Amino acid sequence: MRSKFELLFIGITVTITLIFFITIGSMFLVPSPEGFINALFSQQMIFAIGLTLSTALVSATIVILCCIPLAYTLSRFDFPLKRFFKIILDLPMAFPEIVIGIALLLFLGNYGIGSILEFYGIQLVFNSTGIIIAQFFVALPYATKSLYSTFNYIDTRYEFVSRSLGYSQTDTFFNITLPLSKEGLFATIIITLSRCIGTFAAVLFVGGGILMKTETLAVSMYLHLSTGDIDMSITAGILLVIISFITIAVMEKYTNDNRNQMI
Amino acid sequence: MYLEIKNLSVDLGEFKLKNINLSINKGEYLVLIGPTGSGKSVLLETIIGFYNQKEGSIKLNGEEITTLLPEDRNIGIVYQDHVLFPNMNVYDNIAYGLKNKNIPSEEIDLKIKEISSIMKIEHILNRSIETISGGESQRIALARALIVEPEIILMDEPFSALDVSTQETLTNLIKEIGNKFNTTFIHVTHNFNDIWNLASKVGVMENGIIHQINTVSEVFSKPTNNFVADFVGIQNVFEGIIEDSSTSCAKVKISKNLYLYSSDEDICSKIHPNEKVTVAIRPENIIFSNESFESSARNRIKGKVIETKKSGPIVQVHCQVDDVILKGILTRNSFESLDIQKGKDIFLIFKSLNVNIIDTYTTFKS
Ligand SMILES: Nc1ncnc2c1ncn2[C@@H]1O[C@H](COP(=O)(O)OP(=O)(O)OP(=O)(O)O)[C@@H](O)[C@H]1O
Ligand SMILES: [Mg+2]
Repeated sequence: MRSKFELLFIGITVTITLIFFITIGSMFLVPSPEGFINALFSQQMIFAIGLTLSTALVSATIVILCCIPLAYTLSRFDFPLKRFFKIILDLPMAFPEIVIGIALLLFLGNYGIGSILEFYGIQLVFNSTGIIIAQFFVALPYATKSLYSTFNYIDTRYEFVSRSLGYSQTDTFFNITLPLSKEGLFATIIITLSRCIGTFAAVLFVGGGILMKTETLAVSMYLHLSTGDIDMSITAGILLVIISFITIAVMEKYTNDNRNQMI
Repeated sequence: MYLEIKNLSVDLGEFKLKNINLSINKGEYLVLIGPTGSGKSVLLETIIGFYNQKEGSIKLNGEEITTLLPEDRNIGIVYQDHVLFPNMNVYDNIAYGLKNKNIPSEEIDLKIKEISSIMKIEHILNRSIETISGGESQRIALARALIVEPEIILMDEPFSALDVSTQETLTNLIKEIGNKFNTTFIHVTHNFNDIWNLASKVGVMENGIIHQINTVSEVFSKPTNNFVADFVGIQNVFEGIIEDSSTSCAKVKISKNLYLYSSDEDICSKIHPNEKVTVAIRPENIIFSNESFESSARNRIKGKVIETKKSGPIVQVHCQVDDVILKGILTRNSFESLDIQKGKDIFLIFKSLNVNIIDTYTTFKS
């Protein structure tokens, strides 16, 4: 016999999840199949898919490479002002993405270091480099946080034992710490990829939202919505949902398969 | 001195190790005890090099190691929960410390064969870590530490996660290793049996300091302050001379008319008449009786009650026996039903198994 408490909580969970499902699912019903196919194979959509995936791959790679030392440092080492550093790194998660977008635009554009960079022929805004930078800034805090808890979860005594057996800190990191964090690292990669793919406001500002130039899927959805091209807009949205679904499904499967193998 | 720590201080913010001094000889076995949070683990991890010390020096085997990184100190560590690397099988766990030393794999193979036969783990070398029992894990952890021939092995509550019979087996195994390789150990524990069974020296810690560090008999019979006295509890510790010994039993003369029988097989076979030893009897192992009844207990002694102390449901009874005072504890109920009073004659009965001959580690090695 289930208690009233249990029934109530299951009821709340099912209702809220259904609301989510119906809301997202209804998007799939909007375009006609014909309109969807046309939009999907339009030059513009293929460009947006390509740009989204390629920039996200590049920025996610950089994010992962950076967040490994960041997360490990925060988890293991003590240094002056450490708490302050932690807050700075967490902060971007608390405020809207648009703030990062505008801050980056100001800093990298002509108000900031843009004119100096231009002198050397470097441009960091309104192109795909700008998109990558924006994705990097948005995703890094999430990646660092995720990997930080992974490293925290690994008993430092594994590392102590390894070092007591004559291995340097570097060797210990690669022989013990990284292999023991592989599950968390994988989850971090997935989180990072989906953050990078889904970044919108920051990418819109720093990339400039130029059709067929800095038009990622999220930006495309917005641009077409504002010009009334519902089919294009919704198709981009559906693609984003599908990509996210695949990444999360992969993560679920992988982490469940591995849970029993890890201590 | 083999390991010599002088004026060592460590500052971890909330917690500090203060002015630690300790020295042990090669082949000695130091057991560290103290209440939880007293800094025993921090001390071990400082010796091995994981905490930066504020002051003081550590010398090991003639070499100043104070500023060396942990990987350059050649000190082994074994933890309570074994911390075997889950990403490697048993064999690779044990081989880990050899693989960075340019040793040909045939030689590694040989060394692993040798150590795993001592540890009796040959049959599980290819198993993965999740399938290993607690006792096996601890054997593997010991093998992993021993195989690199460290200068000293530090053990942080190595037995506390194991059942009693496994603890006994491992205790014997550690004695065997100590005997064979003349290994030096520092062993942190909450179990006084580890002191009786293994220690040649014992250190008592509290709140970041070592109150007393000395031979077992010294610490238990002459605690230097109230904390140590309270912490080690009332104990019966006496010096004596072996009157007679066989492989399974020893007769120890404590005073003119007081002889105690001990049947600690491990030690009895290694001691000889006229040797000086220290014996300990835990108060709770003494049974009181108004008559000298026949039982399997070898020690039946008549004494006179000189003091009784009530604390809660427990009563401490001190009895004068010949020249020494034996202390026992009773429940309130049995205290009353035996009608124990000051000045009354009473029999103290205890098994020869419960008469521990201590200082064993050095005794049986020499
Ligand atoms: N890295 C650290 N930084 C700050 N304080 C620490 C650190 N490690 C341990 N401590 C503190 O130092 C004190 C001593 O801890 P320690 O683990 O050495 O105690 P212990 O004697 O081993 O206790 P137990 O018998 O429970 O194992 C504790 O108060 C603990 O919280
Ligand atoms: Mg401890």
